[in-house]
Order: sequence, then C-alpha cells, then structure tokens
Amino acid sequence: MKPLDPRLLRRARAARAYVVLTALLGAAAAGLVVVQAFAIAHALGPVVISTSDGVTVPFEPVWRWVGVLAGVLVARAGVAWAQERFAQRAAPRVVGELREQVVAHAVLLGPRASGAGDPAAVATLATRGLDDLEPYLVRYLPQLLLTALVTPVLVLVVLGVDWVSAVVLAATIPLVPLFMWLVGVMTAGTSERRLRTIERLGAQVLDLLAGLPTLRAFGRETGPGARVRALGEASRRATMGTLRVAFLSGMVLELLTTLSVAVVAVGVGLRLVHGGMGLVPAIAVLVLAPEVYLPLRRVGAEFHASTDGLAAAERAFAVLETPVPHGCEGARGPLEGTPVGHEPAHSEVPALAGSTLVLDGVTVRAGERGVEAPSGLSARIPLGTGRPGGGRVVALRGPSGAGKSTAALVLLGLLHPDSGRVLLEPAPAELSDAGDLGGSRSSDSSLDLAAVDPASWWSHVTWVPQRPSLPPGTVRDVVTDGREVPDDALAAAAATTGLDTVVAGLPDGWDTRTGLGGVGLSVGQRQRVALTAALLTGAERPLVVLDEPTAHLDARGEQVVLDTVRAWRDAGRTVVVVAHRASLLALADQVVDVEAREVTHAFA
Amino acid sequence: MRSPDPLRRMLPLLEVRWSRAVRAVALGTLALGSSVALAAVSAWLIARASQMPPVLQLSVAVVSVRAFGIGRGVFRYLERLASHDVALRGMAALRANLYDALTRGPVTGVVALRRGDLLARVGADVDAVGDVVVRALVPTGVAAVLGLGSVALVGAFLPVAGLALLGCLLLAGVLAPCLAARSAADVERRSADARAEVTARSLELLEDGQQLRVAGRLDQRLAGLRAADARLAAATDDGARSGALAAAVGTGAQLLAVVCSLLLGIPATLAGTLPPVELAVVVLTPLAVFEATQALPAAAVQLRRSREAARRIVELLPSCELSGSAPRPRGRGPDTGAVLELRSVAAGWDGTTAVAGVDLDLRPGCVVALAGPSGVGKTTLLLTTAGLLPPVAGTVTGDDALFVAEDGHLFGTTVLENLRLARADVTPDEACAALADVGLDGWLATLPDGLDTLLGTGAADVSGGERRRLLVARALLSPARVLLVDEPAEHLDAATADALVRTLAEHARTTGRAVVVASHRLAPLDVADEVLLLGRDDAVAHAGDTPATVVARGTHADLLGSEQAYAWASSQELTPTP
Repeated sequence: MKPLDPRLLRRARAARAYVVLTALLGAAAAGLVVVQAFAIAHALGPVVISTSDGVTVPFEPVWRWVGVLAGVLVARAGVAWAQERFAQRAAPRVVGELREQVVAHAVLLGPRASGAGDPAAVATLATRGLDDLEPYLVRYLPQLLLTALVTPVLVLVVLGVDWVSAVVLAATIPLVPLFMWLVGVMTAGTSERRLRTIERLGAQVLDLLAGLPTLRAFGRETGPGARVRALGEASRRATMGTLRVAFLSGMVLELLTTLSVAVVAVGVGLRLVHGGMGLVPAIAVLVLAPEVYLPLRRVGAEFHASTDGLAAAERAFAVLETPVPHGCEGARGPLEGTPVGHEPAHSEVPALAGSTLVLDGVTVRAGERGVEAPSGLSARIPLGTGRPGGGRVVALRGPSGAGKSTAALVLLGLLHPDSGRVLLEPAPAELSDAGDLGGSRSSDSSLDLAAVDPASWWSHVTWVPQRPSLPPGTVRDVVTDGREVPDDALAAAAATTGLDTVVAGLPDGWDTRTGLGGVGLSVGQRQRVALTAALLTGAERPLVVLDEPTAHLDARGEQVVLDTVRAWRDAGRTVVVVAHRASLLALADQVVDVEAREVTHAFA
Repeated sequence: MRSPDPLRRMLPLLEVRWSRAVRAVALGTLALGSSVALAAVSAWLIARASQMPPVLQLSVAVVSVRAFGIGRGVFRYLERLASHDVALRGMAALRANLYDALTRGPVTGVVALRRGDLLARVGADVDAVGDVVVRALVPTGVAAVLGLGSVALVGAFLPVAGLALLGCLLLAGVLAPCLAARSAADVERRSADARAEVTARSLELLEDGQQLRVAGRLDQRLAGLRAADARLAAATDDGARSGALAAAVGTGAQLLAVVCSLLLGIPATLAGTLPPVELAVVVLTPLAVFEATQALPAAAVQLRRSREAARRIVELLPSCELSGSAPRPRGRGPDTGAVLELRSVAAGWDGTTAVAGVDLDLRPGCVVALAGPSGVGKTTLLLTTAGLLPPVAGTVTGDDALFVAEDGHLFGTTVLENLRLARADVTPDEACAALADVGLDGWLATLPDGLDTLLGTGAADVSGGERRRLLVARALLSPARVLLVDEPAEHLDAATADALVRTLAEHARTTGRAVVVASHRLAPLDVADEVLLLGRDDAVAHAGDTPATVVARGTHADLLGSEQAYAWASSQELTPTP
C-alpha cells in the first residue's frame, strides 16, 4: 500500500488543498526548527565558553538570540495551531466527498451487487468505515509530509555545520525503513496466521453472545460462560504472540534513532575535546539530531492510523472502481467524474400505451448457490392503454426462492438477466387496444430494454417494493410527491388504500411530518402511504410493479392491497404483482409461473 | 450531580492486577527516562568537552550516553508488551463478566437489546474500555513520574528553573489535554445530530437506492446527503477550535521551558551561582522531557471515549445486577392435569401491558394456536408463558416451556452441534429424523459434509426458510414438555409454512407434548385443538393504549362460523395451487 494513495487526491478535492497546505506548513516547521536550534546554540554557547574561560563576550547578541527563540516559540505554536485547524477542517470534508461518491456508485451497481459493492459492506463503509480516514488525515499524513520535508532539510543543515554528524544521520535514516521492512518480512507469515486465529476466537465470543437469548431459551446459558473466559484467555495469548513480533519493528525504529542521536552526541563531544569543533555548532547539532528523527518516529507511532485509513480508502476505491453493469448507467450522481460507458446508443422509450413487454428466456443466476432463479422465464405482458377497461393484473407465481422478485427487478431494468432478454413491442397500429396477444410480429420494431436509457424507461413505471422508501416531509407531500393534487382525488386514493383512517389518527392529519424514512409510522401505515402515492402517479406510467408485502401483513392490510390493485386496473394500467398469497392470484387476469432450476452439476 | 464515573464502575470487572499496571508504568518511565537522561548527559558531555578536560574524565558520560541510547528502545518495547498484556487481560475478563451478568440477569435485558447493539457493545465498547489502559492510564502515569523526576533534576541545579519547567509541564500536560478533551466533547455534541442524519441518509440511499432511481429522486437524495455532510463538516469544524489550541499550547510549552531556562540560567551563571556545564543541562534537558506530555491530549480524548463506552456497557448492567428473575413455581396443576397453566395472565414489557386476562391449560398432546394481527402481543404472551418475561399479573405454573423465537440464533458450528443445543445427547440418526420431519432432508443431502457441515459466517449459507425449519427441528429435539413456536410461517411460502405447522401438531400428538403456535396466517390452524384470537376493540386509532384480550376462542371451525373477521381473513389466504 502506498502511504499516500494518489486516487485519494484525484477523488477528493478537499484532500488536494489539504495536502498542499500541510506541505507548506511542514516547510515552515522545518525552517523554524533550524532557527530554533541555532538560537539555542547562540544563546547558550557564548555563556558557557565565556564563564569557563573567564573571557567576557558581548552579551547583547545572547539576549537577542533569546528574543529570536521567543519568536520561534510563537511561530511554532502558530504553525501547530494552523496544522491542527486545517486538518480538522479538511478531514470531514474528504470523508464526505468519498462517502457521497461511494453511496452514489453503490446505488448504480444495482440491487444484486456482490463483492466490494455488496450492500451490507458498503453500508458499513459509508457509515463507519470511512471515519477511519480521519485519524489518517489528521495525524498520519502531516507527519508523513514532515518526514519528507523536514528530515532532508535538517540533514543538509547539519552537513553545513558538521559533516561527520551529517554522515551518521544520513547513514541511519535508510536503515530505519530497511530494518522495519526486514522485520516485517520475517514476521509477516506468523502475524497473519495469528491474526486469523484472533479473529476466529473473537467471532466465537460474539457468536456466543449473539446466541445468548437462544441459549437462555434452552436453559443452556451457564456452560458457555467458562467458554467465553477460556476464549478470551486464548485470544489474549494469541494477541500477545502477535504483538511480541509486531512491536519488534517499533523497537528497531526506536533503537536506531535514539542510538544514532547518542552516537552523534558522543562524536561531537570527542571532537570538542580535541578542539576540532566549536561549542555553538556542537549545540546546534545536538538539538537538531533528535528533530531529524522526530517525524519519522511519529510516522511509526501513527502506523495504525495509516493502515486503517488506507484500508478504508482502499475499500472505497474498490467500490468506485467496480464497473457499473451494462445499461445501468442512467441517473448517475452529479459528482460522478467521467461519464465512462455512457453509450449514446441508448434510446428513449416511445409512448408505451398498448405496447407489449416480452420476457424471452430470462435467466438470472442466484449468487453462488448454483441456482438459476428465474430460469428461462418467458411471457408476454400487454401494457395498459391508460383508458378505463384497458388495465390488466399479471401475477408472478412460484414457490419462495423461485425468482419472482428477481424477475420484477429485471422488468424494471435494475437487473440484467444472465441470459435472455426483455423486449418492448410497440402497439400495433392496425390492431385495436384490446390487443392480440398471440400475434406473431417481427421483432424488428421491438426495442431491447438493455438498449433503453433507464431513466427514460423509469419515467413510465411505478414501483412499489416490499419495503417502500418514504421521503421526509408531511404526509401530504410524501403522497403527492410535491405535485398539485385535487383534494377529492387525494381523498379517493386514501379511501382505497385505507390511508384515510391512518391520517385520521395522526396528530396533524395530512400535515403530520414524518422523519427520514417515515419514522413514527408502522410498517403497515408506511405501506398505505406508499400505495396511495403510487395510486396518484399519473396514467403516463402504464406499468405498475408491486412486490406484495409478506411479513407482518394481516388480513385487513391485505384487503388494502387488493383494493389498490383493482383501482390500478380500473384506471387502465398494467399491474405486475409478485404474489405471495392466494388472494392476489385470484384477482389476476394472467398468471406467469416462475421457476428456479439447480445448475450445480451442469459445470461438473 | 452526575452519576458516578462509569469507568470506575467498570474497573472491578476488568480484574486488573495492580502489580502488572505498576510494572508497565515503571517500564514506560525507564524508556522515556532514558531519553531524558540521554539529553541531560549529552548536554553535560558537550559543555564539559568544550572546556577540553582530559578525555578520561568524559568516559563515564560517553558510556552512559550510549547505554541510554539503547535503553530507550528496549524499555519501550517491554513497556508496550506489559501495558497491552494488562489491557488484553482486562478486556477478556470484562467480556466474560459481562456474559455472566447477562446470563444471570432477567432475560428482558437480552431480548430487548437489538442484536447489533449487543455485539457492538461487547465488541467495540469492551475494546474501547480496555484501550484506556494502553492509551490513557499508562501514558499518564509515565508522564507524571517522569515530569516530576525531570523537575527534580533541573531543580537540583537551579531550583527556580525547576519551577519554571513544572509550570510549562502543567501547561502541556494538563491544560492541553483538557482542551483536547473539550474539543472532542464539543465535536461530538455539535456533530451528533449531523452525524446521525448523514448515517440515516446514507443507509436510506443504500437500502432504497433502486426505488429512488426508478422514482427519479436519486439526485435529489444525493444532494441531501451532500448537504448533511457539509453540516457535519461545519459542526466538526466549530467543535475542533480548542483542539487546535491544545496543539499550539503543547508545542509552545516546550520552547517556553527552554526560553525560561535561558532567562533564569544565564544570569545565574554570570553571577557564578550556576556552573556553565550545569547551565547546558538546565537548558537542554527540557527539550526531551516534553515527549512524555505529547501523548496526553490523545490520552484525555481516549479517557473520554472509554468512559462513553463504559457508560453504554453499564446500561446493560443495572438490570442484570438485580440478579435473576425468581424461578417460576413448579409443579403440575393439581386439578387439571395440565403441564402448564396460565391464570388471568397479563403480559407486557417494562410496566406496559400488551395482553391481559389470558387463561390457558396446556395438556399433554394438545395444540393451541394464538391468532391475531401483527403487533397484538402474541410474542410477548409466548415469552411470558416460557417464563422469559415475568407476568405483569396472574400466574404461570407448570413445566419448563421452550420458546422458539422467530429470529433464533444458529451458532457458527456444525448442523449437528446446533441441534444438540436442544439436548446434548442427540444422535446423528435422531438429528436426521428431525430434519426430515421439517422437510429439510433434501437440504441435508446437498450439504457437503452432511450433519458436520459448518453453519454461520463464511460457511454454508442458510436461506430464511431453511433457517426457520432448522429452528423448529431443534425445538422438536428438546426435552421440553411444552413448545412455544413464534410465527413458524414467516419467510416461508404458504404450502411449506402450513406443512410445518402440521408437522408440529403431529409431533405434539405422537409425543404427548403441548405445542403453542403463534401465527398471523390462519389457514393451517385447523390442526389446532383450540385457537385463541387476540385483538383490541379499536385496532387502528389507539393501538397500544389498551391491552389486547382474547376476543374469541374455539376450534378453527368454530371461529370460522362465529367470527366474521376471522372467516373473512381466512378466506383471503387460500393455499395456492401447488
């Protein structure tokens, strides 16, 4: 891992400005350290010499150097203040910039992203993981830049004063990374093995804790207490084994730096005795020698901040560099840099009324489980005409795990089938709205959904997932999505979905504010809000995709769903429902059976 | 006044052996002491050398400078090992004590806690409490001992310079850490809301991003996240002011000590009261001393962080320290021959009552169903029946009952060991039979190592439906006379769910156990001997205000005839054609 990932500078604007500022402050700090060393030497040296030899030297310059030192004091305090201030200011901005990019990109990766884009991993990264960058930026990076700036400058200054000391310093500095690398290489295998052991032991303790309610239910909770203690003890022994090795590199660093300061001091002292050197330069070298190593030592001390921070950045870049699946680039975030792969071939969706959605052998592989769900799904789904009587209810049916919800995601263009395709057949000009389902038409005029600009497709679709997302705002705003909706239309929709009884029970009725994600509403109530909002979307969206809620829905809630689906059909829209229950199947005009297939042995 | 320091309450649970802690501080003092001594002796060496004495007079100084140069690295290594050992012992002890406390306490503490919270507290928070040793207590101890030692050293040469050094050390070692801790507190206080908002918005985007894309609202939400992040940055910035001041004070104090030494030392030397060689020691030693105080601002921040973590852990404890809930009165209901009896039981959490007035006799081999809308209190009633929640009113008497939670835990061990949780002597044959009973024989056949396949993280993944059935299979193997199964239908398609309920009923009848099933799905309840329909008078408007009651009871057929709502709800969920 590079100590400063160039991608960080490329992706986060705040990081660029911060690095430049920190470098400037580092240069100022280097200059101040040099001035400080000479000021101390010039203030102290003449006094020691004169009082030792009984020769009086003019004291005017001595006090002047003390004054200079006081100035350095103020300036160094100022630099330290500015560094900390800018660091604290820049770090959250850098984290924020990366967070937005990671979140935006993860959304574009679609509902079934795996690997770096796995939703749970990205959620951890975006909410907590990226915070590891703050210590890296605030503490590690400045020391790293100081090492790069201060150390060579100070060695050059020492060279100008006493070349022997400069040689000692210059010779030891490369030894530090060399020895640390050697220690690292020699111990890498053992540390990694031990780290895995420690992680495993830790996971076992957490597993026992997570299962505590279950253990208690079985009355088996007392036995594992001793096991937790034993696991803790084993974990401590393993950790100490790792640390004994890990701290070796720290010891090498300390040993080399302190010992070389001692060597410089002894060398300077011996040359003083033989008259080979003056006291003032000797003091300057003595003050400068530890300062040469100081940033290097702090880099070593902040090593953990560096690895944690860089690992977080690495995870963020892994997400950002995961290519967006073909055809899913629509509605990219405004911060997204270059519009890679934004094919101009993507066409707009024509008016959909009366056209047909054709599923042709749609197959999606389900993760690593060796299952295709759905497998070879074919169906023709006529889209609504937008006029009363032109609607249709199409139910996707199948046992759990057959791929019903996956098929819905494919229809929505959020997921691309591993094989097969989804086509849009335009309404036949010569045929009536009633539609001829069996019509054999050339697919020349058909449009492959993969070649359609997703944003344009979505402007024709209404989607109500199992767990609908609600924007913050008043219930009225949430339901109307900010549009002007006549009160009677609102009331009619609310009556259909049963939202009217919910609103009646709310403290401020329609003007009750719901928090981010609709806090304060139960799952069932949120469902009703979402259904009402979907009912009010216009007839320009002829396709409604509804994933029927399964969990925590009672009979009353189920009736609401049925009524809403009927209302959509009456309004001339096609409703594709992922049906988990019989009631919706009974309502359907067309039932599409979805099946999964095991493919494990096909590869053997 | 604030409650007593949670960190102090946590200390006995860490089981720290003070001799170990003292050893760590002593080693740390030796390490930093080496570097102070190195600075002092080299100052003396150079000043003395400039007077050109015979080289032999310098030999002791030369040797000690080199020795101190080596000593620092070695002692520091030993100190780090010693302090980490103390910390790790503390964390292990704390984790074990916490586990013990959780097992002793009433189960409400465990059940009420969301799984994620519990893991965070026992994982990261215990680590944070342990870190206080390495990052706060040892550095503070070292800084105190070393600071006083250096003040004594400098003071021995020039008392007033020693006092000046003490003052500067207090600036760097007390004022700067206070400022840093205040900054951390300010940042946290000011940014808490913004941080929560950023987290909520990020999660919303990640969870609901696909919906937002389809609805065309993604850009708007991303802009919202950006604005929230900007607010977070601004709040952090405001709070961090005193942190920058702490950095300035820390750096300034070191040079101030040197300036003071010069201002006080030079006149003393000129006056002849301080030999010139000692002047060099008085001026140059402070440069090394402040390394000890540099760690203290971070130590103060760590102390705060550890205290917060300790506070969160203590929140787990008070209920636990009340010691366990009294064991339920045992013994069979004398008149009824029931294995478990509920008499006018009211069930609820923390003083609220969810369900009231429940009477129930569970006889061997009987199957009882709890029906009713979600949120009505079915789970709460089951927990109370199982003796995991104390009843708010009424009595529960009888045998131990096993509660099979909807989200029961599968441990990261083999399938067989997971089943053996129910009974330690389950044989592989019994395990296979139980899995076959719940329809998992096909699943078992696909497992690479059969019953010895590892479950859990990084191992065979289990789907929601398979998991439910595994939990039921485990329950079937337990010796409990009463099984209380919560929502066996969740995550299963209708046919599988209904089959599972039927399996449970058959099992009850063949083994003579009693089974209570809570279900919001009504279709499979025809196998029950009795269905208790829970409900409230007005379920919509004032849900939660009034406890639910048993609004009707009887067989499934009875209720279909007598309860209109029940019949209607049941008709909505006809089993789909296979």
